[in-house]
Amino acid sequence: MQTIKFPIAVILHKHGEMVYFSQLDLIHILERALRRSDLPLYFTQGFNPHVKISFKNGLKLGQEGFIEVIFYFTENIVFCRLKEILQPQLPEGLEIIDKEVSG
Amino acid sequence: MIDFKNFQRPQRYIGNEWNVVKKSHSGRVSFCFCYPDLYEIGMSNLGTHIVYGLLNRNPDFVCERSFMPAEDLANYLKTSKIPLFSLETKTALHDFEVLGFHLGCELNFTNVLHMLALGGVEIFSAERKDLIVLGGGIVNPEPLAEFIDVFYLGEFEEVADRFIEIFHKYKDKSARLKALAETEGFYVPAFYQASRQADQYVFEQRYSYARLPQKRVAVKDLNRSFVPEAWLTAHTEIIHDRIPIEIARGCPNACSFCQARAVYTPYRQRQTATVINILQRLYQGSGSENFSFLALSASDHSEIEELIDAGLDYCRKRRIGLSLPSLRASDIVGRLYKKLSSFRKASLTVAIEAARQPLREALNKKIDLGVVFEAAKILQSLGLRQIKIYFMYGFPQETDEDLLAIGEFLDDLYRRSRLKLRVSLNVFIPKPFSLWQAKSILPEDILRRRQDLILRNLPRQRGVSVSFSSIERSLFEALVSRAGREFGKVLYLAYSRGVCFDGSRENFSFGIWKELMEEAGFDYRRCLEEQTANFPWSFIE
Repeated sequence: MQTIKFPIAVILHKHGEMVYFSQLDLIHILERALRRSDLPLYFTQGFNPHVKISFKNGLKLGQEGFIEVIFYFTENIVFCRLKEILQPQLPEGLEIIDKEVSG
Repeated sequence: MIDFKNFQRPQRYIGNEWNVVKKSHSGRVSFCFCYPDLYEIGMSNLGTHIVYGLLNRNPDFVCERSFMPAEDLANYLKTSKIPLFSLETKTALHDFEVLGFHLGCELNFTNVLHMLALGGVEIFSAERKDLIVLGGGIVNPEPLAEFIDVFYLGEFEEVADRFIEIFHKYKDKSARLKALAETEGFYVPAFYQASRQADQYVFEQRYSYARLPQKRVAVKDLNRSFVPEAWLTAHTEIIHDRIPIEIARGCPNACSFCQARAVYTPYRQRQTATVINILQRLYQGSGSENFSFLALSASDHSEIEELIDAGLDYCRKRRIGLSLPSLRASDIVGRLYKKLSSFRKASLTVAIEAARQPLREALNKKIDLGVVFEAAKILQSLGLRQIKIYFMYGFPQETDEDLLAIGEFLDDLYRRSRLKLRVSLNVFIPKPFSLWQAKSILPEDILRRRQDLILRNLPRQRGVSVSFSSIERSLFEALVSRAGREFGKVLYLAYSRGVCFDGSRENFSFGIWKELMEEAGFDYRRCLEEQTANFPWSFIE
């Protein structure tokens, strides 16, 4: 049914109160934010499907900084649309700041 | 400002959950919902969300939250003389107009006193000037009567509007307490005189406006009752990381030992359409990936099949996990098994309580063991690995045969089904308002002997894991749930010696409590064994 996935990599700025939340917390925060939006989500296959998200790096608890995240959708989503829809669903301290430039 | 990085699980103290409400206090009545246990436990309680939503929906009321801090932060607050605060605006507890404590667990009563002290609030009700301490979710309020200004007995949805109105209309404490006392469900202990005379708990009004008897208040129509749609969604893992949706409240059965059935009465159902509508709104508001249907006995819901179908249909399309509360074995066999295969984490919990039919009949527990075997077989064919089984022991009329039969039953079930069995064995505690409230918990030595007897006959297979509830904690729970006002001095003594978190196994010591009770001149054996028909909670209908 959902064979093709469209990845989009973005850079998130994690700061303020969000520095107290771990990488594991971040997975839940992003999954729930995506579920609240009406974006065409790509789910992992298998018995226990969840929204597919991958991280290129992590931040230690308490550390402010930038995280590269890849979101996956079942159709192509351009960066500005993603930002427009997803940003309002994120808590303060998590900002989508840029489209990741590969290379 | 505290640097939360220095404490374990700092996420507990931030207060930036999705749908959190932050309002300025100016011109508003300020209320802090206080939960006398850790954040991850308090946030898993449906009541927390209902009260928070009900109060914050009023524009002139602000409800914030505070949870019992873990030991590291509690010690830091004490040594640095920083008062315990609300999560939302980090306001000290003593700066609120009302503190509303959730008192659903007797083992957290000492934590209530610690939270007051940490928050810079006087512990005894009589010493407090303006601030009002409210307590809810409690069955027998008497042990806390000296510390709490006003109790609410019942389901808060039904009186929230009246409660808010009183706080807007009256501005000083005595006028507020009087107006509350005149409202059904509110109980101001200072308006009554309570004492022990021989084996009687004598309870009298001190003022004519104090209601007697008191009545518990119940929601009339569960299809119209408030649902906290803007679900406060924690960013970090909590104990039950799923949103519960009540499909019914109360229970149509009448098991003799059950307190929940007696307290949440009458039995009320939510229609399928209402439940699905709630599910939809909660999902849109929270994005939560897990939901559960909640009921004391889901099988008794007259639309359970439609409910499961409609719930699964909604959840499957969105890849949401849905879990069900315990079902009756006969329903699994009879009508629901085909549906169960669709559940991500299908599991079966069977509360058998007693292994032999005559004792089960005395408990008014309608369950046929033959059906349990059949249900186990079905679940195995669906790919399920384990079942949870609950037993109780320590009933006055149980015989050695009853106790030995537990092991025989488990052995038989394990051999026939090859399912992993996770067995819980709990001590029977006679709880207020249950049909067997007048019975006594068995003495410690007899309970130990009975536990040994069960243990001796348990199957030794690796697939069978057994956990016993602590006998000492059960005795303590029985004690606090039965005690009257005189238990207050024991609680105060325990608090002043630093006793806290009695709900956790590592922290609880019955030895210390026995010493404290002796020091306070409280005869705990008498409290447990006394035969009377006049209990500290008898003033509540």
